[in-house]
This record gives sequence, structure tokens and C-alpha cells, in this order.
Amino acid sequence: MARLFEYQGKEFLKDVGIAIPTGGVASTAQEAYEIAAKIGKPVALKAQVWVGGRGKAGAIKFADTPEEAEKAASAILGMEIKGFPVRKVLVEEKLDIEKEYYVGVIPNASWDCRAPVIMFSTEGGMDIEEVPEDKIFRARVDYLKGFPFYDALDLASSAGIPSKLLREMAGVISSVVETFKRRDCNILEINPLVLTREGKVIAGDCRMGIDDSSTFRHPEMGIAIPREFPWEPTDFDMVGWGIEETDFRGSGFVMKMSLDETSPGFIGFHAIGGGAAMIGMDALSRVGLKPANFADTSGNPVASKVYRVAKVVLSQPNIEGYLLAGFLVANQEQWHHAHAIVKALREEIPKRTGFPCVLLLAGNKEEESLQILREGLKDMPGRIEIYGSERVEDSDFIGERMLALVKEYREEKGG
Amino acid sequence: MEFEERTIKVIIDTDKCPNCLSKACIEACKVYSRGILQLNDGKPSVSHLSSEELGRRGTECLACEYECWQRGNNAIYIEIPIKGLDDYLRKRSLK
Repeated sequence: MARLFEYQGKEFLKDVGIAIPTGGVASTAQEAYEIAAKIGKPVALKAQVWVGGRGKAGAIKFADTPEEAEKAASAILGMEIKGFPVRKVLVEEKLDIEKEYYVGVIPNASWDCRAPVIMFSTEGGMDIEEVPEDKIFRARVDYLKGFPFYDALDLASSAGIPSKLLREMAGVISSVVETFKRRDCNILEINPLVLTREGKVIAGDCRMGIDDSSTFRHPEMGIAIPREFPWEPTDFDMVGWGIEETDFRGSGFVMKMSLDETSPGFIGFHAIGGGAAMIGMDALSRVGLKPANFADTSGNPVASKVYRVAKVVLSQPNIEGYLLAGFLVANQEQWHHAHAIVKALREEIPKRTGFPCVLLLAGNKEEESLQILREGLKDMPGRIEIYGSERVEDSDFIGERMLALVKEYREEKGG
Repeated sequence: MEFEERTIKVIIDTDKCPNCLSKACIEACKVYSRGILQLNDGKPSVSHLSSEELGRRGTECLACEYECWQRGNNAIYIEIPIKGLDDYLRKRSLK
């Protein structure tokens, strides 16, 4: 699910008439100063990251003057929240809060619903999972017919919204449903939906996720990669996406797992299938190594695609080894992997003599595939170990071999 | 001789082929792909296929290059462009 930042989602809410706080997004403290000066009253500064717990992490701050806003932005920008860097900060007018509500739409795939469900609660401002069941009011949305205004009135009324606010709140509920449909969302939440002391209803936050398969219909969203990323895609992620973007012959997915490129212990990680990836990552973490990236070549990709993935994985400057994690037994003919890996390693190993590689490949045409690996890599100046189905369930062994080779490599390099 | 499949270019130095005894690329093409390489005058050839057919039938298996390394005369090189990789490496002074 591709995600939008709060500041992006709020713009789409504004398009359907939902009020949002006056403000703008800043990438520098100076920009934050200018936005705060333009607003001309106390502001809130909020880190734009795709993780929860911003408040507890100190990534939401308040400022009474542009100078204070500049200082607060400086503190927030460059901060890391749960390992994710903050590159943008939303600067917007500080709301004078009377009460906080929650409104959100998510798809419900259960057999008795199979439709989007709108949820509304008078207990906003906290995780919806923490709100007591009797305080959450739900209604099924007919995706084709929409959500009529009278149903929105009914929902708001059920929640006990006072009559003077009823029409306005129902209007917001209807508009949220409309946005969910118009923007092909997989999730849309406003939490909190703020009632100010002046009696205005304003979206205090916005969480918006888009159905990956629909992003081509939304160039206005500027989604670079229609996948769920923990951060804005890096240059590395963009190269990885270039492999998949127009080539649908099996999976060839690559993305960064860590932005840390200085610590030791990172391994170029190349799995064959999601299950194998999980086992492989466990194998590494049990011996204190870390995957620098995630990669998956499954679903019978052509050899050229596997080669591209291996080359991109090996392009990472800080890796101390390469693990082909073919845990579990694949139905795909593995000799295409073998040819691809041989070509990639024959190009890359001579650039880093002694480089550790543990290659685990099992499944259809396994014997032939292992023979290709052994023959094709026999004269390479690396530490290359090749295993087949005899080790496919022995992730401890694979992890330990990777670690042993990494230690030898470090010693050889004098590190 | 060179030809393109969907996303790769296969380059064959056919001057090296007449004295190749194995012709391993031809057999490999049958085993790992759809036999698009055929022997013509002692050299691999795709002249029996149009460029459209090459794009459609080629499976980009890379086997001909491998077999030529191992059992032939090192006459085949396959170019596999990777969009953005050169720029990425250059930006990071790795290239």
C-alpha cells in the first residue's frame, strides 16, 4: 500500500471541502520560519514520517513566534524516529481544541461485509484500537452507490453528536467516503478530527494509503513507487524499482532495509520467495548480521531479471557478504538463477577479492543448477560456499557459515 | 553478430566460432530456452527469425553465454542494462 504524508493527504481532503489548518511543508528551518511568519500566529510543527508515536518522540512541537518555529524545525529535521529519518516538517496553525473525534474508512474483506467500512468515534486523538468498542460507530459503504448524506447524518447522530454540529459532521463523514473512493484509498483516517473552540471542524491529521494497483490513475499524487515503504524511496530503491516497473516476468523486488551505511555487519540479501526471505533474515540476525536490503526473485523470473537483482544487491558499498537465501524448495527451474548469479558474481567478485558469498539454491533442476554454480564460480577469487537441499532447513548452519566467512574477510582486510 | 531480445542484447564474435568444437551455445539454447540459436555455416545464427520473433521467443536465459565461457571460445557477451544503476554508482563515487 503506497502511503502519502499527512501534508499530502490533507490537500486531498481540502479538495472535497474538509477544512484543514493553514500551513505548509518545510524542508529547512528557514522555510519553517517563513511559513510561520506568513501564518502570523502560534504554530504546530509536525515531523512528516510514516510511523506512529511522533508526539512521544518529541517530533511534534509548538511555537509562538517564527523564531521559535525555526528553532523547533531545526530540532525536528534530521531527527530519527524509530530509525526513520525526518526530512520534512509540516508547519501549520495551532488549533484551539474543544474536542477531538475520529473518522476513518478501511476495507473490510470479511465474507459478511466485503466493502469499505466507515468508522466514527467521539474519542479521537488516540489510537482507534484503544477506543472502547461501544464508542466506535460503523457503517458499511456501498462502493457503487456511495454513502448518502442521510446515512452520514444517521451515523453522526448515533454517536451522539449534538444537533447544532450534526450537519457539519455528517458533511465531513460524506466527504471522507468520497475521498476514499475518488483517490482509490486502502485506508483514510482523520485522527483527530478537531472541533475548535470557535466551533469549526478541522482535520487535525490525515493518514492516507493508496491501493498499489491504482496509483497509475493518480499522477497527481507523485507516488514514485507503488509499494509500502518505510521512508521516501532512496536512489537505491528507485534502481530496484526500475527492474520491476515494466518487466512482469516473475518477481524481482529490491529495496533498502537500512539507511545505515557505516556500521559493520551488513549483508547483501537476495532471497527466493517471501518465506525464504523470512528464514534468511532470521538466519542472519541470529548470528548478529543484518540484511542491508530486501530482495526477492521468485515466481519464475527470467535469468536477466535475477541478474539485475543480484547486481543491484551487490552494488551496495557497505556490504560484507552476499547471501542467496533459497530456503524452502522452489518449483521454478533454478538453473535460470544459477546462470544469473554466476554472471553477476563473475563481474563483481574480482572487484572485491575474498568477498564472502553463501549460495543456497534448492528446488526444481537443483542438481544441474548447483553444478552450474560450482563450475561457473570455481576460479573466482571469493569465499564462495554453495549449498543445496541438504541445508535447506538448516538456517542456523547457513547463518553461521556466513558469519565465519565474514570474520575471515574482515581479518584479511585488517578490520 | 548481435541481436536483441526483450531487454537484453546478445553479442557474438562469430570469428571465434568456426574453430569451436562444442557448439555448446546451440544445445544450451534448446535446453534452457526455445532454441532460437541455430547453427549456420558453423556459426550460431538467428537469421531465420525476425526481430519481432526474437523479442517474443527469447527467454533471456543467459545460458549461451555461460556455455560459451565454459565449453566454447568465450565468444558471447550479453548486455543487460540496469536502469539507473550507473547514475547511482556515479553519485556515490563507486564508478
